[in-house]
Amino acid sequence: MTAPPLVVDRLTVRFAGLVALDDVSLTVAPGQIHGLIGPNGAGKSSFFNVISGVYRAAAGSVRFGDAELTSLRPDRIATHGVARTFQNIVLTKGSVTENLMLGRHSITRAGFVATALSLPWAVSEQARHRVRAGEIAEFVGLGDYVDAPVDVLPYGIRKRVELARALCMEPRLLLLDEPVAGMNTAERVAMSHTISDIRAVLGISILLVEHDMGLVMRLADEVTVLDFGKRIAGGTPDAVQRDPEVIRAYLGTGRDA
Amino acid sequence: MTTFVQMVINGLALGSVYALIALGFTVIFRAAGTMNFAQSSVMLLGGLLVARLHEALGFWGALLVAAAATALVSVLEALLLRAARKRDLASLAIMTIGFNTLLLAELSRQIGSDVLSLGDPWGSRIVEFSGITVAQTRVASLAVAGVLIAAFFLAFRFTRWGLAMRASALDVEAAALMGIRRRRLELSGWAIAGGLAAVAIAFLAAFPSQGLDQTTGEVALAAFPAAIIGGLGNPAGALVGSLLIGVTEAAAATYQNDLSLLGSGLSLIAPYVVMVAVLLVRPQGLLGTRETSRV
Amino acid sequence: MSEIALVRPRRRVRSRAASVALGAGALVLLALPIYLPGFWLGVGLFSMSAALGAMGLNLLMGTAGQLSLGHAFFVAVGAYGYAWFAGHSGRQGTVDLSGLGLPPVLALMAAVVLAGLAGVLFSPISGRMRGLYLAVATLALVYIGHHVLLNARSVTGGFNGRQVPEMELFGFTFSNHHPDTLLVLGVPFGRLERLWYLGLVLVGLGWWLARNILRGRPGRGLAALRDNELAASVMGVPAARYRAAAFTVSSMYAGAAGAFLGLVYERIVPDSFGIMVSINFIAMIVIGGLGSVGGAVAGAVFVSALPLVLGHYAGSLPLVVPAGMEESGISPVEASNYLYGIAILAILVFAPGGLAGLVRRRSPKVPTQEER
Repeated sequence: MTAPPLVVDRLTVRFAGLVALDDVSLTVAPGQIHGLIGPNGAGKSSFFNVISGVYRAAAGSVRFGDAELTSLRPDRIATHGVARTFQNIVLTKGSVTENLMLGRHSITRAGFVATALSLPWAVSEQARHRVRAGEIAEFVGLGDYVDAPVDVLPYGIRKRVELARALCMEPRLLLLDEPVAGMNTAERVAMSHTISDIRAVLGISILLVEHDMGLVMRLADEVTVLDFGKRIAGGTPDAVQRDPEVIRAYLGTGRDA
Repeated sequence: MTTFVQMVINGLALGSVYALIALGFTVIFRAAGTMNFAQSSVMLLGGLLVARLHEALGFWGALLVAAAATALVSVLEALLLRAARKRDLASLAIMTIGFNTLLLAELSRQIGSDVLSLGDPWGSRIVEFSGITVAQTRVASLAVAGVLIAAFFLAFRFTRWGLAMRASALDVEAAALMGIRRRRLELSGWAIAGGLAAVAIAFLAAFPSQGLDQTTGEVALAAFPAAIIGGLGNPAGALVGSLLIGVTEAAAATYQNDLSLLGSGLSLIAPYVVMVAVLLVRPQGLLGTRETSRV
Repeated sequence: MSEIALVRPRRRVRSRAASVALGAGALVLLALPIYLPGFWLGVGLFSMSAALGAMGLNLLMGTAGQLSLGHAFFVAVGAYGYAWFAGHSGRQGTVDLSGLGLPPVLALMAAVVLAGLAGVLFSPISGRMRGLYLAVATLALVYIGHHVLLNARSVTGGFNGRQVPEMELFGFTFSNHHPDTLLVLGVPFGRLERLWYLGLVLVGLGWWLARNILRGRPGRGLAALRDNELAASVMGVPAARYRAAAFTVSSMYAGAAGAFLGLVYERIVPDSFGIMVSINFIAMIVIGGLGSVGGAVAGAVFVSALPLVLGHYAGSLPLVVPAGMEESGISPVEASNYLYGIAILAILVFAPGGLAGLVRRRSPKVPTQEER
């Protein structure tokens, strides 16, 4: 199963006079790991927010395969197979499994009536998806924690739960917002392996925002650089690292977060 | 024609009194992020004090004392709210409901089934001009409320207090980070809301109302729709909403007979009907702003 | 790191003792009408009606995180709905009443559906509004509703209200007749005793349905909406639709509560469905504990029983005097209001989890940060 390409064309986002994104275009090829980097305030979060439907675009379009995502609500976009993680982890109260099951929401169907009446098909749907959520938890390395309440878990584990939850949506495109922020070196290496496993095993396209340059350059097939809402460079990691525009934007360093 | 003009005048007078309450909601919302559901009982307290004190202190003296007292009680309520463990919207709102229940219980006991007079200087006298008759109390309320509202907007626009109010974030967490200044600002908002409420009830319990009774405080509830219609947290909106509600109520009362198909007592529900109508068309209120974030 | 793995799963493991306690409790509830005098049966019946309404409001407030002041309206819809669906047309005093004369059981179901429909009609507002906007908008329901109750006299009987037809099931009536004498273990079972069991069935059913919703996909979606609407949306939870759905389900529970209340009261009047009723329900949820079905029921029992109990014992309690008496003192209703106000404030300051929270704290199933 290959994901369709994500084609972003001349995307512009404005907030009351401030231009967060200015005419940005990029393409995430099927099965690609695409890095999105740029100094703070460059518009990376805004970019993610527009793609996931949280922000309204002032101009431009976002197409995922044949589907036009630009003006859709977030929950509609989820049904097209676009999942995202959040920089500041947003998990709901409850166990890890409960959080993962929330991720299954868009691909399950049991509504209020069926659930209230405990109809057999609704019950078995829940059971089936719990099993799958368990498999995804194992894949991401959360096997030991499935029943633990998320509030007591260490930060690194919570980050993984955030990731696993997004995977539970069985996405074709995964938007990762700073997946290793706040992690120590060992955790970063582990997460880096997990991310490349996701692409290798599941064939999911990944759009990755990160400040950890080493990680991005190692993982990404292609990198796009934003600065002040504009796309200033793009290409392979090597090419981008040597691009004078990029160096200027970062003031000469490929600094870690 | 004269009926119409009378209705409009009465409506504006009523609306300007509602505005006093609605502006109170606005500052409390800006400062504390919650709706004060205790406004009706605080208002009733003010009315009760005026009723009890006007013989000794005269109407204006009693009103002054009452306004000070309601301001103080509102501040106490604010301080009590600070003690709430959960700071989310619903919890704070429910705390104000709890406060209201408690205060109302005591005030109902004090007032019992009495109908009290507030001893206002206008009584049931009327003013006549060009064939139009308006109660003096209405004219007085327009005048007094007008002055207070004007003072409010001037302060809001041109003083440092007003600047701080305008700049205040609705994010309660951020407020916690901003220290003492913020807290004093918040209390000032509550105090002003309390004081304005006392003035409001002084007019609401005057002619043509029979006087102050247990249920007079419920009139404050009509100001909720006013604040919502204008867009929560927006003083101009609160004013517009209040005037709109006042005029609609007056219209419903005046043309009640023509509208008898819809039942009697229409003026009581006029504020709510208007609010529902506005919200269906503009969920953020007439002057409220739509957020860029779609969720 | 693996200490966390030893953390017990939260729910499924219910100890033997708890199961036995639950079973015993159920038996007690079933046997109570044999022993309880009429007054306490009445307290129980009001509590059951309140419990139904509270379970619904808990879904809205505790799970979806929405504040509604309009619950009283839907209770009224249920009560008057049942009275109209089951009632017969005819003259009552000065009013010509209408009624469909449906079989009472059908009327009960229709009343619940009607309340749900009313909830659906309000969904353009309940779906799109959040927080304070919704709270104030629901105020409108109570006041406009009250206005309609007073004025739609052929349906509601106006100010004087309307009689509520008895519940009847295959010839068995939940009143003092048909059968005229029903003896259970030597105890005559009249209207109150019979309604007790109907109430237990309704509350039990309501509990089961609520539990299912909360534990399943919709409950998760609603909780996610409450905790972080953005994240929930991105996960595919349709915010407006779910909020509207929660509101509708909540209103159906309120409708059931109203219909049952009508059966208990035998006569309903508009003034029974004012803003104070909505506030009482909120008090039930807060006192019982947000988000917990058991808490909602506990809160419901507390809030309904309090004024009745205070009134019953008014003579022997200090300060509290029977209503209407000239002596100085507090009437039972006033005393209850004092206590509600204090309870709400105290709970939000000291124990935000309510009664359910206090119970949970006593039996931690999860080691706290310090203990690990």
